[in-house]
Parts: sequence; C-alpha cells; structure tokens
Amino acid sequence: MSPHPLSPSPFGRGGTQSLPRCLGLLALLLTGCAHRDRVVVGSKNFTESDLLGEIVAQQIERRTGLPVERRFHLGGTFVCHQAITSGQIDLYVEYSGTAYTAVLKHAPVADRDSVYRTVARDYAQRFGLAWSKPFGFDNTFAITIRRRDGTRYGLTRISDLARLAPRWKAGFGYEFLERADGFRGLASVYGLRFAAPPTAMDLGLTYRALADGKVDVIAGNSTDGQIEALDLVVLEDDRRYFPPYEAAPVIRQAAIQRHPEIAAALAQLAGRLSDADMRRLNAFADVEHRDIATIARDWLRAAVP
Amino acid sequence: MSLLSFYARNSQEVLGLVGQHLYLVAISTGTAIVIGVPLGVLLTRWPAWRGPVLGVANVFQTVPSLALFGFLIPLPFIGGIGATTAIVALVLYALLPIIRNTYEGVAGVDPAVREAARGMGMTDRQLLAQVELPLGFGVILAGVRVATVVSVGTATIAAAIGAGGLGVYIFRGVAVVDDTLILAGALPAALMALGADALLGVAERRFAWRAR
Repeated sequence: MSPHPLSPSPFGRGGTQSLPRCLGLLALLLTGCAHRDRVVVGSKNFTESDLLGEIVAQQIERRTGLPVERRFHLGGTFVCHQAITSGQIDLYVEYSGTAYTAVLKHAPVADRDSVYRTVARDYAQRFGLAWSKPFGFDNTFAITIRRRDGTRYGLTRISDLARLAPRWKAGFGYEFLERADGFRGLASVYGLRFAAPPTAMDLGLTYRALADGKVDVIAGNSTDGQIEALDLVVLEDDRRYFPPYEAAPVIRQAAIQRHPEIAAALAQLAGRLSDADMRRLNAFADVEHRDIATIARDWLRAAVP
Repeated sequence: MSLLSFYARNSQEVLGLVGQHLYLVAISTGTAIVIGVPLGVLLTRWPAWRGPVLGVANVFQTVPSLALFGFLIPLPFIGGIGATTAIVALVLYALLPIIRNTYEGVAGVDPAVREAARGMGMTDRQLLAQVELPLGFGVILAGVRVATVVSVGTATIAAAIGAGGLGVYIFRGVAVVDDTLILAGALPAALMALGADALLGVAERRFAWRAR
C-alpha cells in the first residue's frame, strides 16, 4: 500500500477485504504466465495508482507500439510487489518513501535524494527491478481537518494541533498506524495526545467520517482530490517529519533488456507532474467521475506531446 | 515458527481480538435470527411477499461492505464508526440464508401432516409451534449454520470501521506487507469458522434425526 491505499470514494470499492485480494493474486498467478511479448502494467487499488498506471500504459503503447496488458487495482503494495517480483507484471508505479519503509523496512528519513538513491540501488540488487525517474510530485501523508475547525481555532500547522488534541478524536488508516513513518513517530515529534487512542479504520472511510464529524483529524494523502471536494484542509508538516513519497515507475530489468525502448518512453514522463497537476487529475477521476483512460490521454497529449 | 512466537508475545491482544470477533458474530447472528426466523414464517403465511423480501435480502448480499459502511456512517443510531455499524452490516449479510431456510423449512412440511394436524383441530398457532417449526427445525438450523460461518469470515471487515476483531491483524498485515500478521488474523478466523460449522452441523444432525 502506497503511502496510500486510498480509495478516495468509499463507494463502489469492495476490494479491500483480504480474501478477494488473495483470490486476485491467485488468479494472477494462474493466468498471468503468458505475456512473453506483451508489457503487463499493474497498479495499486486507489485512483492515483490507476491513473499513473494508465498514463504509463498509454505512453508505452504510443511510443513503442508494444501491446500493453493492464492489471489494475491490485490490492496494494503487498500484492503489487509480489506480482512484480514473481514476474506476473512487468511494471507498476511505486512511491519512494513506501518502498523505503514498507518494502525495504528501513527507518524513515526525510532526505528526498538519499531515499530515492537507496531505493533504486536496493531494488536493483535485491529484486532485479529498475526505478525510472520520478514523475515530479510528492504524495505525502496529509494531516487533514475540516476547514471550519481550521478557521475557528486558527490551525495551519501540525504543531498547532498539540493544544487541541486532548479534546479531539482521530481516525487513521491501518497503514498510517502501523508504519514506521506513521502515527507513533508523528505523535512523539509533535507531542500529540488525543482523548482516546485513534480509531483504526479503512482509509477511504476516514474522509467520510471526518466530513460527517465522527472524527476530527485524519491522515489522508496530499494529492487527493477529496480534500477540496469535502471542504477539508491539510495542516503543514512544519517539523518536516514525513519522508518524501515521489512516485516513479518500477520495472523489471528483464523487460528493459528485452525492450530498451520502454526505458526511453518512461524517461519522457520524468518531472512532468507537479503536486497540483496530480491533485487536479485525481479530482477529475474522483470528484467529476471522468474516465481514467480519457484523463490519461488528454494529459499525455497536452504535457508530453 | 514466527506465527507462534507472535502469538506468544501478543497473547493478551490476540485473546482480546478473538473476543471482539466472537462478540460481533454472536450479536449479529443472534439479531439476524430474531429478525429472520419470524420473517421467514410470515412469508409462508403471505407467499406474495416472498419474492420482494428475498429480493431485498439478496440485494444486501451484493453490496460491498466498504460501500455499505460508507452509507451507514452518516446515519443516526445504526451508523457512525465502531461496533454498531459493523453489526448492522453483518446482520444485513446474515439475513438471506436465515429467512430463506425458515421459509423452506416451514413451507416444506408434508401437506398430509399439516392436514392431519388441522383435522385434529389445531389452531394456526398450534400448527406452527407443534408441527411446522419442529419439523422444519433442521432446515432452519442449516440456514443459521450458513449464516454463522459466513459471518465469522465477513466479520473481519469490521476492522475497516474501527470495530476491532481479527480483521485488525489482516488489515495491519496487508498495510505493512507482513505475512505473519495476515496469518495471525486469518488463521484463527478460519478455525473459528470451521468450529462453528462443526458445532452447528452436529446440532443439525441431531435435530434431523429427532424429526424423523
């Protein structure tokens, strides 16, 4: 899971149970073995990952002419990592900070370059996987509150939260509660003590719980379209606690050796997506419910002509 | 074995989650029985309602649980975050097999037996209590058995709405890419489902035998 096993809309996404996940993985194992001359692109089970997967897939199709098979909405980092290391998919988009802490199990650091360098080196050595250059945006954890609370209490930074926390309720996704760069570290760096232990729940549902006033603070994702749509605001990480989460395509070295033109196609995407761009594309999908393939095609046509 | 050492280190927590899981299953299945059995009996009296009622119960089965939670969060009394919402969802999922089997069990009683009972001067209430329910009990129990086993598995989703249970380990394990954690939640849930199935299976056979 990403920073972000985010299903920004809680509706229409039943796929977070782990049984369907395992079945999905099994189906992959059974059916995914016949892709010799196709490129199989995977994505995780949230909108941004689907969007980036589609962008990568279309870029490969139009630049190399290779047939691309899409295996989207796989159950998070765990499933994607298993699928790519076993050769069931050839590439998917991963986040540097997620690979660093969740896959490689390093202790979090906030230095952007060293995270990317370490991840690229370790992935090449340990898994035979190559990291392309990042897209250019940083999808970090976003400590998020309702806008009217922000205005009423004058909250703009996470350090402002400490004085209110004892009266507030928090609801966090499991990933944020578990990860080394998640809640525990945040609580100690900022001295946060909530009235009760944070409620552990599905990440997509935390947005809804916050908007409906069932909790007062959540940890969302900074590029998420729901933040503006639900009239929420993100508090500034003024003590720079969260490590960078730069998204970049991860690809099997074997696939690049077979088709070096894929690497060239992916290189054209480097640095083309800012935080604001990504938020806008996510909102197209989540808030305006536009088709992901169309969003990807329009963006590619405009940004990478 | 890392799973065993995990249990050894976290025995308190494991027991707590198992307890929560059993609580969710017991309350929800119990509620589904209290609602579903009378509803199933009513359907045998008003067969015209059979299609619509079973249809609605069927629809609940098809709604993904996260979507259901999303709808339930804003509702007063039955919604919000926590055990209540999870139980409401589990009840909705458990209703179909219970209603259907109650209907089948009661409606499937041999018409000759029913006629004989009426011939003996039984009222509708006596017929139900002394003939139809005892004879249909095995089938009704089979429905309860299916509902219980399914609930044990489905209750893992309660962890998505802050209601705890063994799903907590599964969600945490999936979140941090940890097989041991996933197994720590999935294995006891599977054993619990097998146990419930075996237990209710024994009860079912006993009653089927007695009815004969």
